[in-house]
Amino acid sequence: MPQATRKSHVPVGAIPTPLHARLEALSTARRWTNWAGFVSPLVLDTAEFEYFAIRNQSTLFDISPMHKYRITGPDALAVVNRLVTRDAGRMRDGRVGYALWCDEEGMVIDDGTLFRFSDTDFRLCCQEPMLGWLQETAWGFDADIRDESHEIAGLALQGPTSYSLLSDAGLAAAAALGPFDMAEIEPGLVISRTGFTGDLGYELWTAWDSVADLWDRLWAAGAHCGLRAIGSQALDICRIEAGFIAAGVDFQPAHAAVRLHRGRSPIELGFEKLVDFGKGHFNGRRALLPQRGTGGRHHLARIDIAGFKPAGGALIYHRKKKEVGHVTSGVWSPTTKRNIALAEFRAPYGRTVTDNLWVEIYVNQEGQWDRRIVPLTVVSEPFFRNARSRATPPGPF
Amino acid sequence: MSRHDRYDAIIAGAGHNGLTAACYLARAGLRVLVVEKNDWVGGAAVSRSLHEGWTYSNCSYVCSLLRREIVRDLELPRFGLQVIPYEGGASFTRDGDYFAYFSDHDALRREMARHSPADADAYARFSQTVMRQCRFIRPFLLRNAPDPASLRPRDMGELLFLIRKAHGLGRRELAETLRFWTLSIGDFLDEHFQSDLIKAHLAGSGIIGTGLGVYSPGTAYVLLHHYMGDVDGTIGAWGFARGGMGAISNALAASFQEAGGTIVTGSGIDRFLVSDGRVTGVALENGDSYAAPVVASNMDVKRTFLKHTDRKHLPEDFIRAVERFKIRGSSGKLNIALDALPDIPAAPRGAPFLRGDMHCSTSLAELERAYDDWKEGRWSAEPYFDMLIPSQIDPTMAPKGKHMMTVFVQYAPYDLEMNGVRSADNWNDDTRKAFADSVFDKIAQAMPDIRDRVVHAEIRSPWDIENEVGLTEGNIFQGELTFDQLLFNRPVPGYAQYRTPIAGLYLAGSSAHPGGGVMAAPGANAAREILRGLGKAGRMPDHAA
Amino acid sequence: MPPDATGAGKGAFDVVLIGGGHNGLAAAITLARKGRSVCVLERADRPGGMARSSEPAAGAHVPEIAHLLYNLDARVARELGLGLLLKSPPIPAVSLAPDGRHVVIAGDAARFADGTPHPDAPAFGELNARLRRFAGLLGRLSLKSPPRFDGGLASLATMGEMAALARLGLDLKRLGKHEMREFLRILLGNAHDLVLDEMADGPLAGAICADAVRGNHVGPRSPGTVFNLMYRLGSGGAVRLPEGGMGAVCGAFEQAARAAGAEIRTGCDVVRILVENDAAKGVALRDGTTIRAGAVLSSAGPLQTMTLAGIGHFDVEAVRRARNLRCKGTVAKLNLVLGAAPEITGLRGDLAAGRLLVAPSAVAVERAFNPVKYGELPAEPVIEAVIPTLTEPSLATNGRHILSANVQHIAHTPRGGWGDAARNRITATVLSQLERHMPGLKGLVEAAELLTPADIEARFGAPGGHWHHAEMGIDQILTLRPANGLAHYRLAVHGLYLCGASAHPGGDVTGLPGRNSARQLLKDRIL
Repeated sequence: MPQATRKSHVPVGAIPTPLHARLEALSTARRWTNWAGFVSPLVLDTAEFEYFAIRNQSTLFDISPMHKYRITGPDALAVVNRLVTRDAGRMRDGRVGYALWCDEEGMVIDDGTLFRFSDTDFRLCCQEPMLGWLQETAWGFDADIRDESHEIAGLALQGPTSYSLLSDAGLAAAAALGPFDMAEIEPGLVISRTGFTGDLGYELWTAWDSVADLWDRLWAAGAHCGLRAIGSQALDICRIEAGFIAAGVDFQPAHAAVRLHRGRSPIELGFEKLVDFGKGHFNGRRALLPQRGTGGRHHLARIDIAGFKPAGGALIYHRKKKEVGHVTSGVWSPTTKRNIALAEFRAPYGRTVTDNLWVEIYVNQEGQWDRRIVPLTVVSEPFFRNARSRATPPGPF
Repeated sequence: MSRHDRYDAIIAGAGHNGLTAACYLARAGLRVLVVEKNDWVGGAAVSRSLHEGWTYSNCSYVCSLLRREIVRDLELPRFGLQVIPYEGGASFTRDGDYFAYFSDHDALRREMARHSPADADAYARFSQTVMRQCRFIRPFLLRNAPDPASLRPRDMGELLFLIRKAHGLGRRELAETLRFWTLSIGDFLDEHFQSDLIKAHLAGSGIIGTGLGVYSPGTAYVLLHHYMGDVDGTIGAWGFARGGMGAISNALAASFQEAGGTIVTGSGIDRFLVSDGRVTGVALENGDSYAAPVVASNMDVKRTFLKHTDRKHLPEDFIRAVERFKIRGSSGKLNIALDALPDIPAAPRGAPFLRGDMHCSTSLAELERAYDDWKEGRWSAEPYFDMLIPSQIDPTMAPKGKHMMTVFVQYAPYDLEMNGVRSADNWNDDTRKAFADSVFDKIAQAMPDIRDRVVHAEIRSPWDIENEVGLTEGNIFQGELTFDQLLFNRPVPGYAQYRTPIAGLYLAGSSAHPGGGVMAAPGANAAREILRGLGKAGRMPDHAA
Repeated sequence: MPPDATGAGKGAFDVVLIGGGHNGLAAAITLARKGRSVCVLERADRPGGMARSSEPAAGAHVPEIAHLLYNLDARVARELGLGLLLKSPPIPAVSLAPDGRHVVIAGDAARFADGTPHPDAPAFGELNARLRRFAGLLGRLSLKSPPRFDGGLASLATMGEMAALARLGLDLKRLGKHEMREFLRILLGNAHDLVLDEMADGPLAGAICADAVRGNHVGPRSPGTVFNLMYRLGSGGAVRLPEGGMGAVCGAFEQAARAAGAEIRTGCDVVRILVENDAAKGVALRDGTTIRAGAVLSSAGPLQTMTLAGIGHFDVEAVRRARNLRCKGTVAKLNLVLGAAPEITGLRGDLAAGRLLVAPSAVAVERAFNPVKYGELPAEPVIEAVIPTLTEPSLATNGRHILSANVQHIAHTPRGGWGDAARNRITATVLSQLERHMPGLKGLVEAAELLTPADIEARFGAPGGHWHHAEMGIDQILTLRPANGLAHYRLAVHGLYLCGASAHPGGDVTGLPGRNSARQLLKDRIL
């Protein structure tokens, strides 16, 4: 009998990221959540001020818990194109693309950002664990899948002064990056001009054990730009303002839903432009063909709701009678001063039938419940848009 | 002769199904008598004190399948029933490692990835499929299985319900369901996982209680049968009944007695009394007899009809079908009093998974070989076992500082082979001890000091289980869970709806749809059928899903 | 070559078929008769696939794999112009008993070889007749595409395909309640219990169980083996040694195909299926030639076909299912050339020409299945042997005889691989098994050829070396054959069809998958 080195078992519950010590030192609210098995701040100090820092200054958010996969090899492009609905062959090297990928029924498995280093080298960042799916997608191809989730850490630096801050931190070379560009600015440091806020912002990718140094470097340069660390609650308001969808909220990842028929296609989520039917076969293509140009059974839309009460989870009616959908994400937008939301409609509502739609909101005012039926407007553009977010080179703001 | 010699209904056997049927009937206003051969109630759901200071759940040992609709209807929590979910489980290897099943999602992912990175993702797909199948099947548990050969409106209605549910699945999922029902657990796991140890850990549920191997088609369904239970809505969770499994039977008995029911213990059924094709009552072994126009048997179908019913009342076809019903025993049980927690060198002290189900099987091939032994009439040289120490969670099971361990062992044959002869008579103290030794040898893989910890051990072969509990051949499900014995085929085609060829005589045990496990659904369904027969269907709570 | 004879397709042929086995030929016959220009491409130097015969020693013609004809549906045989094949009389089966009391089974009758009645004959007769009756009902489903559940139960397409199921339902009702219930009870059951419920264990029970597991990776205790038994009885259960040997069978298929106008090219190794705009447009051969066509029918397995077309043309889930196809080949073939006819203890000459089974009991058949599960070789395998030269002496010259034996439950690749030691062990094991009943057999052997499942895969392309290309398990039949979403012959890419044994209804020399696939192609009107 091998006399036992008692194995300590794998850690239970959420574990720290390499930035945890720094975040903990900054956390006065002490509100944490579990993001993909890691401790992640919901609010560090005050959600409200963290939000305004995103829109007015610079903010740092630890995105290390994201799943990151590297797809390399002669067939890497073929594997990526088999996976996602857009054509990665049309992306230039050094570009980042938002992408969705589907199961055989054309239902979205997850969405994420696709980094093209070359046609033989891609990185995929996403919310759901995807190793098994990527390996299956690569079966029969000359490509290698590597789970980089615990090797590469990420920092989201977002806000109007974010470029100024990079410049102050000695990373002025990022000036050349246009939206969705990326480059290895320093050895071992990839910066992409991407983010989840719809504003000027960058994501910085570096080795797991050097991200703390990177944090310190930015932090040291940040005072002048009003740098503030934030939690996910403030970020969530910004992503709704920018009109970005969130997995598990605005759609249910097809592999995670136990109940049947919970999946939604990229077309139903409003991303027909990102479905390239002409590039050859990709997963779910044949199932998506009938939705081409006509939409699916459902339709996710941005809506503007009368009144001031956020409408998360509210039901939507046509002519105040027929239930035709529900709000998936709703929030009062402090920047645009609108009551905004993402909502899922049953076709044709929200797509071709856009008038006489009503939201039913329940409001609790100090213990008293009130039911309000208020009109909504379907909006085609993102709620928040700002020229500075696209300017290249970016201004100091 | 008893004072109350006439009842509205008599239940033969105080197992959990018999008591459940009795409760529903008593609550519907019937005068109900339960007769039980043992001096205690509970059948296979009992807590027994066989060594002073210790309580053994000496047959069934964990709880999950008990339908929450029934628990609520019969107010079992008010009568003391408390079910506590347990925290995980583990399979130990021979070389000092283990695979641990954590209830914590993140830890489980990490543990799976430790053995095989791809398996962590595969587990999500595996659970999605299993949960979908559970969701599909659960609505059928508290309903009658339709008779496809019948054109009666009720059967057509049930058939339509099934078709509607099936249609709701959509084309691909429906085909997937058909496939799942006919697949072996081994093939199903091979499709998902790479790690032998993970596969072995998950395979157990596909074979527990069956006379099938992990590669026998249909065992994926058996896995479902074990997963479709829940603890407070968490599908697939398992728990301990506080005070042992007898707590369930005791709560049922108390609920029954409060509703005005009577229980007579200590004398079994000699025969069911039948006159002009109608049941008229029961005669007991002690000479007493009771009359009632309705009798429900909690005994398995073979015992009910081949032992306690005069054959002349039964059609020849029916007798043949009952004789053919497969009810092979395949499992034994060790109930062990421990003077302290055994040492488990492989695992960190106090690890949560030690408070769950523990196993020492390390591959599907090892499990399949265990089955091959059983086919030859031998106990498995390398047995599969499901081992728990409930006293870690439930302090009522053992004296302070001491522990109680339950080990469900598979495979063990009813007809044991000795010198070329297969017979239950070959089970004696010597063979029982040899059987237990083979189990202890394997437990020692994980717990080297196990033999030193044992204060007392009860060893139960399939023959012992038959003898004490009355389950034919010691089969824990009152009939194997194979396609030919499920749904409208259970127990006998044409009699799948709790009724029998004898008017007024019903089956209320696990031989009937939906089958075994401490689920109580057959008992509740039988009660519904009895009340319907009496024109009192409205007195049965509605469980329509 | 009639390039573009009908003008229907753009290619050189309307349809190109990969694989010249009996299914590929059946598809070719069906399509050519409907006026389509068809080209069959066979990798080997002659068509026939597993129904071919070979010549391991000069002048001795042995059936390479399939050595008996059963399950060829009479209607289909007529339709394909192969009615002649069914003219030879059915042969009996002889279950060889260790004690010499061999059991002869002919149709529903069973007796001892010495003519005395078998005690279980009435039970066997009743059981076999019932199984044949049920099998006849199921057989009807094999003539059509499997039912599917697309587009809701109300859609017209579904209604059409559900009609066969509905018809089965009606036929079942017509059987009467009792028989219908019996059908639903035993359909998914196991052969071991079914048989031993009715009779004592012994050579008779063993023979039934051997038939229930033949070709598949199961033992008689495995649920689903009753279905396998019924599948065998689908066309009545008669087993024939066709006139001219099995070589005549593929000859008949080939002739019928040529007569119908199909072109058959041998020595053509297809290395790629051409796919353009999600449609199959022809094939490329190893020598670099391409042959264009409006549709491609493949008798290769689903994964092999996907690989030929390019994995990227198929959804990840479909490829996963094809990869998970259960196709563990379990039958080895031993072909012997003998200097003289062997004596069989206790058996008259005419019975020796029957189907000889070594399956002494149901328990023995199950036991013989055990080792293959662990990649081990059985000590006492189940054997089905025939000596076709007793019926057709011309198959071997100089008064020699051939003995063809299917050896059940041999692993595709045993642990340690197929070295000479393992191969010799199997040959020796089989010879010893047979020698018990045929004293002196070993001394008669002039040449022996062993084809393991691995050999069968290499030689015939059968996935896993499985006779039926995919296990005939209840999880892989009808709508699930070869896999969920891949039934109905259409293989995702427009104009690409599966026409081999991995498609519905499955294996054996039935020609049905090929014929049905061709009919589906015609119905889809893509040419």
